[in-house]
Amino acid sequence: MSPDVRSLLRRGLTRRAWLLRAGLLAGSGLLAACAPGAPAAPTQAPAAAPTAAAKPTTAPAAAPTTAPPAATTVPAAKPTTAPAAAPTTAPAAAGKRGGKLTWALEQDPVHLIPYGAVPTANMWGKEFMYDSLIAWDRNLAIQPALATEWSAPDDHTYVFKLRQGAKFHDGSEVTAEDVKWGIEAQANPPPPGIKTQYPAKITTIDAVDKYTVRINMSGPDPSVIGYFAWQRYTPVTPKGIYDKVNVLTQGIGTGPYKLVEFVPNDRVVYTRNPDFWNKDLPYLDEITLKVLPDEQARVAALRSGAIDGGTFTADVAKTMANDRNLTVLKGLYAAHKEIQFVLKDAKNPWSDVRVRQAINHAINRQDIIDKVFGGDASYSSIIPPGYGDWPLPEADLKGNYLKYDVDKAKSLLQAAGFGSGFEMELQSINPPRYITQSAEVVSEHLKAVGIKANVVPLEIGTFAKNNADGSYSGAQLTARGMRGDPNGYVTEFHPKTPIFATWFEGGFLNDELTKILDDALLTPDQAKRKQLYTRAQQILLTELPHIPLVQDMKYQVVRNRLKNMYVSYTDFNTGLREAWVEG
Amino acid sequence: MGTYVLRRLLLLIPTLFGMSLFIFLMLRLLPGDVVDLMTAGQEQATDESKRKLREAFGLADPLPVQYVKWILGLLLRGDPGKSLRSGQPIGEALGQALPVTLELTLLAVLMATTVAIPLGVLSASHRDSGADFGGRVAGLIGLSIPSFWLATLTLLFTSVVFGWVPPVSWVPPTSDPLGNLEQMLLPAAALAVQLMAIEMRMTRTTMLEVLGQDYVRTARAKGANDRLVTYRHALRNALIPVISVIGFQIGTLMGGSAIIEVIFGLNGIGATLIQAIFNRDYPMVQAAALFLATVFVVINTSVDLLYGYLDPRIKHA
Repeated sequence: MSPDVRSLLRRGLTRRAWLLRAGLLAGSGLLAACAPGAPAAPTQAPAAAPTAAAKPTTAPAAAPTTAPPAATTVPAAKPTTAPAAAPTTAPAAAGKRGGKLTWALEQDPVHLIPYGAVPTANMWGKEFMYDSLIAWDRNLAIQPALATEWSAPDDHTYVFKLRQGAKFHDGSEVTAEDVKWGIEAQANPPPPGIKTQYPAKITTIDAVDKYTVRINMSGPDPSVIGYFAWQRYTPVTPKGIYDKVNVLTQGIGTGPYKLVEFVPNDRVVYTRNPDFWNKDLPYLDEITLKVLPDEQARVAALRSGAIDGGTFTADVAKTMANDRNLTVLKGLYAAHKEIQFVLKDAKNPWSDVRVRQAINHAINRQDIIDKVFGGDASYSSIIPPGYGDWPLPEADLKGNYLKYDVDKAKSLLQAAGFGSGFEMELQSINPPRYITQSAEVVSEHLKAVGIKANVVPLEIGTFAKNNADGSYSGAQLTARGMRGDPNGYVTEFHPKTPIFATWFEGGFLNDELTKILDDALLTPDQAKRKQLYTRAQQILLTELPHIPLVQDMKYQVVRNRLKNMYVSYTDFNTGLREAWVEG
Repeated sequence: MGTYVLRRLLLLIPTLFGMSLFIFLMLRLLPGDVVDLMTAGQEQATDESKRKLREAFGLADPLPVQYVKWILGLLLRGDPGKSLRSGQPIGEALGQALPVTLELTLLAVLMATTVAIPLGVLSASHRDSGADFGGRVAGLIGLSIPSFWLATLTLLFTSVVFGWVPPVSWVPPTSDPLGNLEQMLLPAAALAVQLMAIEMRMTRTTMLEVLGQDYVRTARAKGANDRLVTYRHALRNALIPVISVIGFQIGTLMGGSAIIEVIFGLNGIGATLIQAIFNRDYPMVQAAALFLATVFVVINTSVDLLYGYLDPRIKHA
């Protein structure tokens, strides 16, 4: 059982309230993934109850989770009561208050616009000053944030109850009007924002009273909950923020830290928000995010103490493992690597499913893991490992769907009429170099079955253009990112998704899959959803319009004085919200 | 002389114009634009929303229209536009970056010159001595070491051996001169090494040439002492070509400091330019590249003019 559900029970909620909450938590699509090896959280929690169990909104919603962070190794982090994503009633703070911290960003945040910003680095810049209605904790379980409760009275409606007395950094109180305005801004973000992940079924938003927001939908969509936990897209801002500040370099949020200044290409400086709604947080007086794109420069700065932590590639992180002053953290993050095809032209060899299957079985994923990722990565399904218990079990991938089997690959090619092989292009992003290195290893594997795959490393801009308009022949090896709901990992294979026309129209369509994907969005019952997405992945790993490869680890190295930091699965630096420093 | 100066200045106009066109077109030859990058991997991004964004950014216009809009904005309003990625006014962005690059460059030139010229003179006046050989070897090494390699190595060295790296946050020299120097000394030194080698070798060569001239022999013959001959008669003449080399190198250094800026996390023009290229931030790249090119051309022209002034033997029709 996931820790958050256990703690809900401990708090003595009524069974009905628990059912509702468990259903909604599960509805996030992201039930807690416990530490690797531990049994995964159940998805068979009951579906969202149709009526809200009214509970006083002033009551704190959930006690803190007590689970240790998954796959992290912060030294001396006190094992109990630490995680502070949970609100208000957490027992006395375990962390030490005060002190400053400097964290290195490997990319410039470019701007801090609240809505419609796609680059991950944008989120790195702004994540400490904003909150969403709800939030993922370190185990990807959904926790209350600015909303203390949420419910689905029927399958066309979601209702969020706001935390009373939560204040923006300008001193004004967070009201339903602000939330409504913000969600409407997400539907139509001003440039340089662009709408990408906004749930299409949201029709209107009502501010029912000062602390109640109702979201009206044209139909059921269980992925909405995950969307509102995805703070990258759904921060809560005061109404009319665009007229109040220059959102490119400023912001007004409710988060644990207030923005002091953002100097593009240089630094972001935050100071403690003394009025943060969770009284136990934050611990630090000041956080400075310093843009340091050069990895060796980050190493030098970290070793000398000029910065307290940052993200590093696996090889470089391992060179620092022996430094007594440093601690290496690692963890899965949502960025699995995969091979993508454009399947519109029937003349291409890879338009034949047998050729794609042959390529799939010719690839030795363990070899990629050993050669490129230092032995430290997992096989990835269509939904990456670590994403709750939605992905197919690794044993099933290793032994069946993604099995390395050269003989099978050869006979599949033979059957497809390509027994003597063929030549193709395999484009890869460069930098980062591990994408291109993966492509080179794959190219070696394909050689063994007679396919000559020429690796073409491309700078990201060129690669992105080819990817977006499908204007390449051959395959692309790329990395995926975080999604708010499992649906996000399969939606590109549905004919209604915009990118489908570019990649697959006329070349790939699976009616059973389309129906499953439709059904999964009409099904609030998490157990049934799990079955549907399991079946969808089985179909996709047989048809292989895209071939998932591996999911590597993200490495962050910190000075020992930095406590309670963890590698966030979302690829953000969320841990800094609850981190503290000693000495 | 007046006509010569005027002609040189007029020649700047077509040069800069051609350069602006070249920069504009080269950039657009790169596949992919800022919208492609922003929506990379976003399966939900519709063509409609991409089109809207391109229109908002002015990327939907035909290329000639885009070019004319840019040039007119630049010439008539002095406005290089706004960054497509960050929306920041480019004038402001470059205004923040310029002091960093300028200081880095000037500091590097200062360090290079104060070391290189005495060394060059020493090398030349003690030709084929141990000091000369030592200087020449050091010069060759300095010339051959890539500055980015030196920069990374210096950083790792000071951090491992002394547990120290330059502070990572930029402090303007006006508010904290010492703190600023602490931050800039290492990057400037890394940038200076190559220039130092060039200047030292140049000084040595021209000094040797001048020391062999008749008037130097005459000076010695009339009984002037070595020091006077070297510094009064020879050095002043030998320095003319060295000065022109320093001038040319300032432009090169301003652009060449990009990699040093990235390594040391300094927010200079070069680092801004590199970031903008990766972002396909057209107006930002255009402005930064055109700025660097203009600095280069203007410095070269001034050096040419100055050269004529310093050396009256150069006649101008």
